[in-house]
Formats: sequence, structure tokens, C-alpha cells
Amino acid sequence: MCLGNLLRRRVRTSLCVLGITLAVMFIVTIGATTSRYTSIIREMNIFFNRNILVVAQGSIVVQAFPIGGGNLPEDTIDEVRRIEGVRKVVPMLVFFGYTLEDVIQLVPTNISIGIPPEKWAILVGSTPLKPDGRWPSTNSRAKEVVAGPSLADQYNLIVGSTIKIKDYNLTIVGILDTPSAVLARAIIMPLSIAQYVYFPTHPSWINMMVVEPEQGRAKEVAENIEAGITGLKALTADERNKIIAPLLSDIEMWNLGIRSMLFFLSMILVTIVAIMNISERRRDFATLGAIGAPRNSIFRIVLTETTLIGLFGGLLGILIGTVGTLFLASFYTNIPLTLYFQDLFGVVSPIFMVEILASTLVVSCVAGIIPAINAARANISEILRSEC
Amino acid sequence: MLIVETVDLTRTYRHGSSSIVAVNKVNLEIEEATFVSIVGPSGSGKTTLLNLVGLTDCPTSGKVLFMDQDVSLLADKERRRVRLQNIGFIFQTFNLLYTLTALENVELPMALANIQHKAQRERASRLLEKVGLEERLQHRPKELSMGEMQRVAIARALANNPSLILADEPTGELDSKTGSGIMKLLLDLCREQKRTVVVATHDKKIIELADVTYLIRDGTIILK
Repeated sequence: MCLGNLLRRRVRTSLCVLGITLAVMFIVTIGATTSRYTSIIREMNIFFNRNILVVAQGSIVVQAFPIGGGNLPEDTIDEVRRIEGVRKVVPMLVFFGYTLEDVIQLVPTNISIGIPPEKWAILVGSTPLKPDGRWPSTNSRAKEVVAGPSLADQYNLIVGSTIKIKDYNLTIVGILDTPSAVLARAIIMPLSIAQYVYFPTHPSWINMMVVEPEQGRAKEVAENIEAGITGLKALTADERNKIIAPLLSDIEMWNLGIRSMLFFLSMILVTIVAIMNISERRRDFATLGAIGAPRNSIFRIVLTETTLIGLFGGLLGILIGTVGTLFLASFYTNIPLTLYFQDLFGVVSPIFMVEILASTLVVSCVAGIIPAINAARANISEILRSEC
Repeated sequence: MLIVETVDLTRTYRHGSSSIVAVNKVNLEIEEATFVSIVGPSGSGKTTLLNLVGLTDCPTSGKVLFMDQDVSLLADKERRRVRLQNIGFIFQTFNLLYTLTALENVELPMALANIQHKAQRERASRLLEKVGLEERLQHRPKELSMGEMQRVAIARALANNPSLILADEPTGELDSKTGSGIMKLLLDLCREQKRTVVVATHDKKIIELADVTYLIRDGTIILK
């Protein structure tokens, strides 16, 4: 009956469903896109989380990696090693946004990391390689690298493939087997190769150091590094989190604000449509009342109708929003759409979909409360008399 | 046995600062299994009286006794329950739900009374068959003629096997031939099924058929 009532006013119902679809589509697209990038940013701090990140003063740091700023001469490593409380120093060269096959990416999704071969573990932990792979040899002439699985899928890289970065041919000797969004888009190579590729004229430069402090002395060691060596910035995991926390909370607040506003507008839309429907069907509700329908049955009918509108709008919105998110991600990163489709639930998580659908149902149900009360409280005799 | 009795039943409507007495100290006595007509000109209070007897309106003063029980002061929920189980309504404009088929319209009161779906379907089909609409079960109201719509409304009024059927101008929208058919149907309900039928009407033919006729003017019964 409820569906029949909605279909009786096809244009109005369709427009209302369309309104909700658009709202949910925006919510899904904005929400999924921002949550994907914020979760990647959060994930970055899993790297080196007990260690200190040392970069040149003025570098822009996003969690565990510098995304821009100055480079450091390699002799700084020895100066840092001499600071009291430092147990280990791992120099690294990290670049975001390099391109393979000259493809332009609006969002830097690829990461290239140079690290001394004996120190892989500090970056990748116990991440394994896919079968047939091995870690690059220490021989700097070999020009061997390992690639992340997402890059490998995108460019059909297998063990033995050659990739070209800045006119240098590098051989893939292993593919990482990892769900990490950062490592999935990484090319990892020996530090000497990275220096050779990126700084052929200054082959001793690095742009970050990971410093392992003595236990419980991270903050003190970071302060000592900054005090003892000019031109360096030493950041503990807490400090790195503090840099990015306001940005992440701003993104979340905006996201929440947009979501609340769109849901509120949807609620008003459903309420208006429901009130119009109710006012046109006063006689139907009065008839139901005259027959003996309890008020809660009439209340339920209206709520079911508004919830059905929410259900259709929500499902359509999630569907279109998910496809929109994939298109948007593909457009900004230039990663083929097919790869995103393969990782559909990685881009828009099922929990997020369920959360949005549930919110839409709640919103449309709440939107129906006032019209439902009006319908249930209809003055039967007056309506039947006036609308005869 | 009296099925409905009203005692000094009065209904006053407030209209700004003035008040209109629609029904004024009406005393009715309606016996079980009788065919009663309430006759009067437009605005005389027929529909208001029917609404009060049918518990869709509350009296300003006085009482409505339904099967010896004072139902005028019952809570809304209870009044709805009494209506659902004991009273069938037939309206001048049929008041069928346009999104439902004839069968579903007849099933509706049974669904509200939580009768099992299979039993609803069987009984609704039987009732529609009885009013001559066995070929029209799946038709929606807009696909039916006026007479057919009123037949569906009659079937719906009988759905929960009520003891009292209230019909407000049941032939008002129908041509005379169709109207006669509907009246015959209502009369059969009374005579064959021993149901009490109360009809508010202008129709003189109905008056001739009725066991008891009340003449109402300006809210007061002037003749029985």
C-alpha cells in the first residue's frame, strides 16, 4: 500500500528520491574520498612510530615523510650519530609524485624510497615479497628495485620487468605483498641507486633520517639533535601527529558539516513531500480512522512511506556516489579505473556504505514524524464532512 | 434488543464566538436487525448524528449506548477498536483507497484486525462475490463504475462481520437504477443476515423500505 501511494505520485516521489540521491551521492563521494586520504595520512605514522624523523629545517612533513623542502648532505648523518642517546641512524631519500611513463598525476600517489639495503626492515617491517621476488642486491651497479603491488598491477610489472625513472632503467626484482596504501604505491631501492637517479650531480644527498633513540628518550634526543646541529628539524611521532592533527580534524569537521547540512536538507525535502502527500490524502486517512485503524497504524504507514523514499534515494545515492568516487580517484591519480573497481571496498568501505544508508533511513524516518502525527491525529468526522 | 440507544445526544460546533447546535438532545432507539432511515434536508444534522452513533465524533453532551454499554466517553483507542469490530461504514463518496484493488480494499479492515492473510483473502473474495463483483477483484477503484465502487464499499463495511452498518447517503452519487440495486443489497443484509442498517438519506424510496424512519430537522428528531 505504501509503495502504491508513492507510485501514485510518481513525479513528486521521483523528484524527492532524486534530491536524496544527490545528497547521498555528495556525502559518499566527499566522505569516501576524504576518509581514504586521511586514513592514508594516518597510516603513514605507522612507519617509524617509535623513532625520530630528522629533516632539513623548512621541510614540509606529512606524518612519516617529507613531501617537500630541503635536502641534507650525507655527512650530517655522522653528526646526528654523535648526539647522546642516538642508537641508530638510517638515511633515506624519499620522493613523492614521480611519474612513470610521463603520466601526470594531480594527487601524488607514487612514492619512491631509497634506503640502505641492510635497513629495509625499518621501513617495511616484516612485509613479505610475492613469490619469485627477492630484495635488491647491495651492488649499486645492479640498479634493482622492488615495487608495490598497486604499481605492479597498474603497469603490469613482474619480476624481471624494467621501469624507467628519469631516464634510468631499473629492474624489478620483487613485488611487495602488502595491503599498506603507502607501500602499495612505492618503489623501494637501495639508497645509492636513489641518489644516483635523483641527484646525479650530488650523489651524497639525502632528505630524511630515521633516528632510533634509546628507549624512553625520544623527546630528549630530538631536542638534542635540534640544539646540537643547526638547520635540522627532529620530530618525534607525537610531534608529527600534532602537525597533521589540526588538518585532519579540520577535514573531518568540514566533512561532518557538509554531511549534516545535506542530511538536514534531505530531511526538509522529505518532510515537505510527506506533508503534501498527507494533505492530499486526508480523506484516505480519515477513512482508515473511520474503519477503525489505530493511530499507530496510520503513523506507521506515513513513516514507512518516508523511509521507503530514503531507502531508494540512499541506495541510488550510494551506488552513484561510489562510482563517482572511483571516477574521481582515477581522475586525480591517473590510476586506471579498473584497478579502483578491483579494490572497490578499499575505496568506499562497506561499513561507510552501511553507515550512510542507515543515516539516510533514520533521517527520512525522522522527516516523516511530523506528517505522520498530522495524519494520525486527523479529525475523522470533520474531514469526511468537508471533503465529501 | 436495542443495539444503539442515544440519550439526549447533543453536538455543538464552535464557530468563532458563536456556536452551532448540529444535533440537539436526540433520543434514538435502534433495535437489532432493523432497517432504519434517518431523513432530513441538507444541514439538518443527519451526518453528524451518524458520526456520533458511529463513534467517529464525540458528543458535547448526552450518551451513546452501544449494546447497553456507554461508548460516548471511551478513549480514542477504544472507540477505534469498537468501530473496527462492530461497525461498518458506507460513505456517499465510497472512500475507497485508490492505490488498492477492490480485493485489497475489502481486506483492509481485516488486516487492521490482524486476521490471517489467507483468511482475509478468502473472506474478501466471498464478500465481493456476494455483491456481484467476482470478476472485478483485481480492479482498482478508477477502473470501476460508481455502482461497483459502492458495492466494494459495502463489501468492505461487512469485512469484520459488524453488527451495525451505517450508510451516509449511499445512493447519493448513483443513478436511480444503480441506487435501487444498492438499496436492495442493504435491505438483504438486514433481512437475510440480520444486521442492523442505519441509512441517512434524502431518498424517498428508502423511507418506504425502512422499518423505522426518523425525521430530523435543525438537529432535532421531529418525527419517528
